[in-house]
Amino acid sequence: MSSSMANAKPAAATAPNEKPVEILQNQASQFYANLHPVLLLSILLVSFRRLVQDSVSTLLGLAPTIAIVQAIYCVLCLPSTGQPAASTPKPGQKKKAAKPAQDVWAKAVPAFLSLVLTLTLSAPTLYIIVILFGGPLTTHQPHTLLLALHLALLTTPQLYYTHGLDTQIWLKIASLQLPIDELFGMTLGACLGSWIGAIPIPLDWDREWQKWPVTIVTGLYIGAVVGKLAGGYVFKGAKIKIS
Amino acid sequence: MEDAASVTRPGATAEERADRKQLSVQFKAQHALVLAFFILIFIFHALAIYLFCSGFILSRLVLTDRSQCAVPPVELQHGYVPGSHEKGCWHPKSFDKVVVILVDALRYDFTVPFRPQPGDETPHQFHNALPILYETSVQSPENAFLLPFIADPPTTTLQRLKGLTTGTLPTLLDAGSNFAGTAIDEDNLIEQLYNAGKKVVHLGDDTWHSLFPGYFEPNLTRSYDSFNVWDLHTVDNGVNEHLFPLLEPSMSERWDVIIGHYLGVDHAGHRYGPDHPAMTAKLKQMDEVFRRIIAALDDSTLLIVMGDHGMDVKGDHGGESDDEVQAALWMYSKRGIFGRSDPGYVEPPAHAKIRPVGQIDLVPTLALLLGMPIPFNNLGRPIEEAFIGKGGNDYKNLAEVSRLTSNQIHGYQAEYAKARKIDPSTTSPTVKLWHTASMEWQRARSWATYSKAWKTSYDSFTAYQTENLRICKDLWARFDLNSMSMGIIALIGTFLVIILYAQSVQGDRAALTPALLSWGVAGTITGALSGAALGSLLSFSQIQLSAFAAVMGGICATLAGFWPVRATLRVPYPTTFWGGLCTLSTLLLCVGFAANSFTIWEDEQLLFLLTTFGVVMLGSSLGQPDETDRNFGSLNAISFLAATRLSSLSRLCREEQMPNCRSTYYASATSSTSAGWQTLIPFIVALLLPTAIRYIYVRSKNYQGSAVIWIGIALRLGLVMTAVYWVLNAADDGDWYPQVSKETLSSTRIIIAQMVLAVAFAAGYGTYIWAAPLLLVRTEEAPAPTTSTSKPLDSSDPNAPVLTTINEPPKPRSKLIILGYANTQGTRYFLLPCVWILALLLVQKPMGQGALALCMISILNLLELIDANNLRRSPLGPIVLALLGSYYFFKTGHQAALATIQWDSAFIPLKTIRYPWSPILVILNTFGAHILCAIAVPAISMWKVPPKLPGLLGRVAGAVATHLLFYAAIAVATVVEAAWLRRHLMLYRVFMPRMLLAVVVLLLVEFITAVIAIGGVRWSMVSVAGVFGYPES
Repeated sequence: MSSSMANAKPAAATAPNEKPVEILQNQASQFYANLHPVLLLSILLVSFRRLVQDSVSTLLGLAPTIAIVQAIYCVLCLPSTGQPAASTPKPGQKKKAAKPAQDVWAKAVPAFLSLVLTLTLSAPTLYIIVILFGGPLTTHQPHTLLLALHLALLTTPQLYYTHGLDTQIWLKIASLQLPIDELFGMTLGACLGSWIGAIPIPLDWDREWQKWPVTIVTGLYIGAVVGKLAGGYVFKGAKIKIS
Repeated sequence: MEDAASVTRPGATAEERADRKQLSVQFKAQHALVLAFFILIFIFHALAIYLFCSGFILSRLVLTDRSQCAVPPVELQHGYVPGSHEKGCWHPKSFDKVVVILVDALRYDFTVPFRPQPGDETPHQFHNALPILYETSVQSPENAFLLPFIADPPTTTLQRLKGLTTGTLPTLLDAGSNFAGTAIDEDNLIEQLYNAGKKVVHLGDDTWHSLFPGYFEPNLTRSYDSFNVWDLHTVDNGVNEHLFPLLEPSMSERWDVIIGHYLGVDHAGHRYGPDHPAMTAKLKQMDEVFRRIIAALDDSTLLIVMGDHGMDVKGDHGGESDDEVQAALWMYSKRGIFGRSDPGYVEPPAHAKIRPVGQIDLVPTLALLLGMPIPFNNLGRPIEEAFIGKGGNDYKNLAEVSRLTSNQIHGYQAEYAKARKIDPSTTSPTVKLWHTASMEWQRARSWATYSKAWKTSYDSFTAYQTENLRICKDLWARFDLNSMSMGIIALIGTFLVIILYAQSVQGDRAALTPALLSWGVAGTITGALSGAALGSLLSFSQIQLSAFAAVMGGICATLAGFWPVRATLRVPYPTTFWGGLCTLSTLLLCVGFAANSFTIWEDEQLLFLLTTFGVVMLGSSLGQPDETDRNFGSLNAISFLAATRLSSLSRLCREEQMPNCRSTYYASATSSTSAGWQTLIPFIVALLLPTAIRYIYVRSKNYQGSAVIWIGIALRLGLVMTAVYWVLNAADDGDWYPQVSKETLSSTRIIIAQMVLAVAFAAGYGTYIWAAPLLLVRTEEAPAPTTSTSKPLDSSDPNAPVLTTINEPPKPRSKLIILGYANTQGTRYFLLPCVWILALLLVQKPMGQGALALCMISILNLLELIDANNLRRSPLGPIVLALLGSYYFFKTGHQAALATIQWDSAFIPLKTIRYPWSPILVILNTFGAHILCAIAVPAISMWKVPPKLPGLLGRVAGAVATHLLFYAAIAVATVVEAAWLRRHLMLYRVFMPRMLLAVVVLLLVEFITAVIAIGGVRWSMVSVAGVFGYPES
C-alpha cells in the first residue's frame, strides 16, 4: 500500500496485447474504416435539428442505427478477441480465403455480444458517471439514459470486440495506459468531446440547442470522430503518461 | 506493510543530546522563518487588494456644508420671507409634528392586495395580512397615499438610513460598515430638526444612535439591539410600549418628531423567510399597530409608514434585486391635504414597477412639509401626491417646491464640482435642462393664473432633477484607474512570487526561505519609505504611493532573492499529466469568471471539475501495479466521487439561478430554517464521521493514545452535543414544546454551544499540542541465537594466554515494535483538522453539517489516493483541496452574493453581539470549508512519509504555496475581470460580489495556512522528532 513498496513489486506482470490494434488489411475494411467517421458525422448533421426539437425520440430512434454502424465497423474492420491481431500480410503472400459464411458467423457473434455488453454493462456505468458529473437526478431521466446509451455505443463496442473482457486490458483502459490506436482514440475522443460539450450549458444565450443533452451528444460525436482520426493517424502507438 | 517497524534505539550519549538540541533549535528557527515568509506574502496581497479596492469600490466626497433656514437656495417668490421655523423656512409648512414609523424590510407587495398572475395563482403567507395602508389610500385619498418606495442599493439598513435622512446616494465603501455604524457627518434631516429646537424621539433599532449620536430626546428615547435576528418580538413590543403613551394628548408637548423603527418583519424574514406563518402574524400585528396609531393621531401630525428595503424570496437583503429594493411608502394625515394628478392614481399601484418614488425623495418632501430647509446634499425630488393639493391641480405649489429643490440640487452640484475639480463637460446635459426649466418658470410666472404653464414648469424642473440624478449615479460610479492598475500590478507580482516559490524551486524550500524573507522585508521597508518620501513631493496620494512602493519593493526584492539559486529553478510550466489537469481546471475557472453565467453557476462547475479529478484518480488507481494500492485507491476514489455528488444535493440557489435550481438547504425555498428531518443530519454526522476518521487511523495502526481520546471520545461527544443544540434550535423555531419557555430553550442551547466550542478549542488544542506521536511501542522477546564468547581461563589474570571456547546460555533479547510507524507524521498532524472540524460543524446549519462532514471524508479520501498513486509532490493535492474548499462553500448554504451571509450564526453561542467574537463566528460559518481545506494542506506532504524524511518542512511549504496559488489565480482573474467589466450591467450583482469573495477568501486562506496550518506543523513535527529525532540534512 505504501508507495515505497511499489518499487519492490515487479512492474505489471504480463502485458498482453500491448500493441496498438491495426485495422484489417482488406479493401472492404479500409473502405469502411474511412467511411465510418463520415457516417457518424452525417448522422449527427442530418438529425441535429430533430435532436434539438425532440431529443428523447431522436436519440431513441438513432440508437439502433448507431449500433449497426458500430457493429459493421467491428465485423468488417477489427480483429476480434482471441484472433491474432491482424498479422500484416507479407507482400506477395496471398490472403487465406476463409469460408465466407463461417467467417461472418465467427465475427457476427462477438459483435453481437459486444453490443449486449455495451447495453448491459457500459450504459449503466456511464449513466452513473454522467449523474456523478452533475447530470439531473430527479428530472430528465430518459434524456440522461439515452445520453449514456449513446456514450456507451460510441466508446465501448469496439473495445469489447477486440479486447474481450480481459481484466488486465480493462484496467489499462481505465488508467489510460493502453497504447493509443484508432479504437482507444475514438473512446478517449468521445469522452473528451462530451466533457467539452458540457461547457456551453450554463451560458445565458437562451438557445434551444443548449438544452440537456444536445451539447453533450454533439460533443460526443465530434469528439469520437476527431479522436478516431487522431488516434489512427497522429498519436498511433503513443501512451498517456499519467504519473 | 510498513505500518509497524522495529528499531533498536541505543541510549543517547551526552554528545548526541547536544546534537539533538541543536537540530531542534535549528528546526524551530527554520519553521518560524517559513511562517514569517507566508505572513509577508499575506502582507503583499493585503496591500495589493487595498490598492485595487480603494480605486474600485466607489467613494463619494462628503461635503460638510449645511443648508440654512434663513438662506434659501434661490430668491423666493410672492414675497415669502424665509427664516421662520414657525411658518416654514423656505416654504409654508403643512405640519407641526410627524410620526415616522419605519418597518424594516416592508416590501411593497406586503401592503397591496394579492392579484393572481400566471404562475402565481394563490396568495402567499405575506399577502393580504397588512391591508390598512391600501384601504385608507383607496377610501380617503385626500388623507393617505401608498406608493412603491425604491431603495438605492446596497439594501442594508445602515445605508438606507443614510439615504433616507440625507437624500444622497450611498456608495459602496459604506457597505462593509453595517456591523458598526458611524456617525453621519453631512447635512441631514435629523440634525436640521435638532438645530431647529425640535424634540426628536427615537424608539427601536439602535442603528440610529450610531448614525445620529446625541440628537434624540434622552428621556423618552428607547433603543434596542438590532442584530439579534432570532428575536422577533423584543424590539417591536418595546416600541409599542413606549410609542402609545407618547401619542396621548397629555404628552403632545414633549415631542415634535417620533421615529419608531420596527424590526419584527425583517427578523421574521431572516429567520423564517417571507412565506411563513410567522410573517403573517407579524404583518397582522403591524396592521393593528397602525390602526391604533391612526386612532390616536391629531390633526396637525403627519404619519409616515415606510420600509427601508424589501427582502428576497428567502427573507434576506443587501443586494439590488427587485425584491430587495422595492419597499413601500405610506403617508397619512387627518387633515386631508393629499391629492392625485389623475383620478386613476387613487388606487395604489398594483406592483412596484408602476409610479415608484425614490427613497431619497422623502427628504425634500418631509423637509418642506415640516418647514425645514432641504439638506444640502439632497438629490431627491418632492413627491407629487404631497404637494398637488386635494383637488389634484395645484401645479403652482408643485412648481414652487420643485423649483426650490432644483435650486438646492443645483447649488450642491456647483459645490461638488468645485470641490472635486470635475470636468464641466460631464454635467453639460443638465445645463441645457436647467436653462429650459428656468425659462419655463419665468413664463409660468407671467401667466400666473394659468395652471397649464405651472404644470409645464413643474415638468421641466422634474426633467432637470431626473437627468441630474442619472448623472450623479454615473459620476459616483467613477473608478480610480490609477489605483486599480497599481493593485492589479501588485497582485500579479505577488502571484509570480508564489508560483516561483511553489513550482520552480527544486531544492529544499525551507532552506531557501530565510534569504527570500530577508530580501522581501528589506525591499518592503525600503519601498514604503521611498514611496512616502516621493508621495510628499508629488501631488499624489501619499498612502497609496507608499503602499504601492512597499509591495513592489518587496516583490522585486523577493524575486531578487531567487537569483543565487537561479540555476536550479525550473520554468513553472506543467510537465506532468496531473499538473496539466490542475492548471487547466484553474484556468477554466479563471476564464469563466469573465462571463456572468459561469459565475452564477460556479457551484455546478466545481462539481464537474471535482468529479473529473475523481474519475481520473479512480482510473489512475486502477492502473496501480500493487494490488493493495489498486483496491484501496479505487475504494477511496469511489468514496470521493460519491461524497462529492451526495453533497451536491445541498443547494442554496441564488436569484439568478432561478428557475433552473431548487434550494434544499432550508425547509423550503422561501424559508431560512431547517426542516424537521434535517435535524437528523447532525446525529448521523456524530455517528459516522468519527468512525470514518477512526477507520483511517486504525488502518495505519495509528489509533493510539491521544487519537483514541480525541477522535473516539471527545469529538464524538462534541458532535452529539452539536446535534442536540440544533434539535433545541429547531424546537424553538417550530414551537414544538409550547410548555417550555423560549427563554429556557435559548439559554440551554447557548450553554451547549459554548461547551462545544470549549471542547474544540481548549481541550482539542490542548490535545493537539501535547499529544505524543500516535504510536504503540511494544517490546517483544526475540530468542537470540546462542553466542560463543571467548573468556580467559584464568579469570584473575586478564592477560592469561590460554583461551578456551565456552557456550553461553542464550540471553533473552528484546525487540521494539513500533505500531503506526508508517504514518506517524500524517496522523499526528491530522489531529489538527480533527480539532477544527468540531468548531466548524457547530456553526453550520444541519444541512451544512452534512456537507462539511462529507468534505472531511473527501479530504481523507484524497490523502489516501495521493498515497496510493504516490502523488505527494504533485500539485494535485493542494489544488484539489482548493477546489474542495470552494465547492463546499456553496454546499454549506452560501453563494457569491451578500444576501447569503448567514448573520444569525453570530448568535449560536452568544445572546448579543460581542466583538470580536460575533464577526469571527460569521467568518467560521461562511468560510468553514475554505478553512478546513486550508488546514488540511500540510497533511498532503506528511501523509505516510518516513518520520525522519529530510526537507519535510520545505515540502509542506511547497504544498501550502501551491494551495495559495489557486486562490491567488482566482483573485487576479476576478479582479482584472471586474475592472474590465466595470461598466457591465451585472457588475454589482455578479462580478463585484465574486471579486470581493475572491479577495476575502485569498486573505483569509493565507492567514489560516500561515498561522493555523504552518503554525500547527511545528507541534506535530517537534513531537514526532521527540521520538525519532530530527533528520540530519
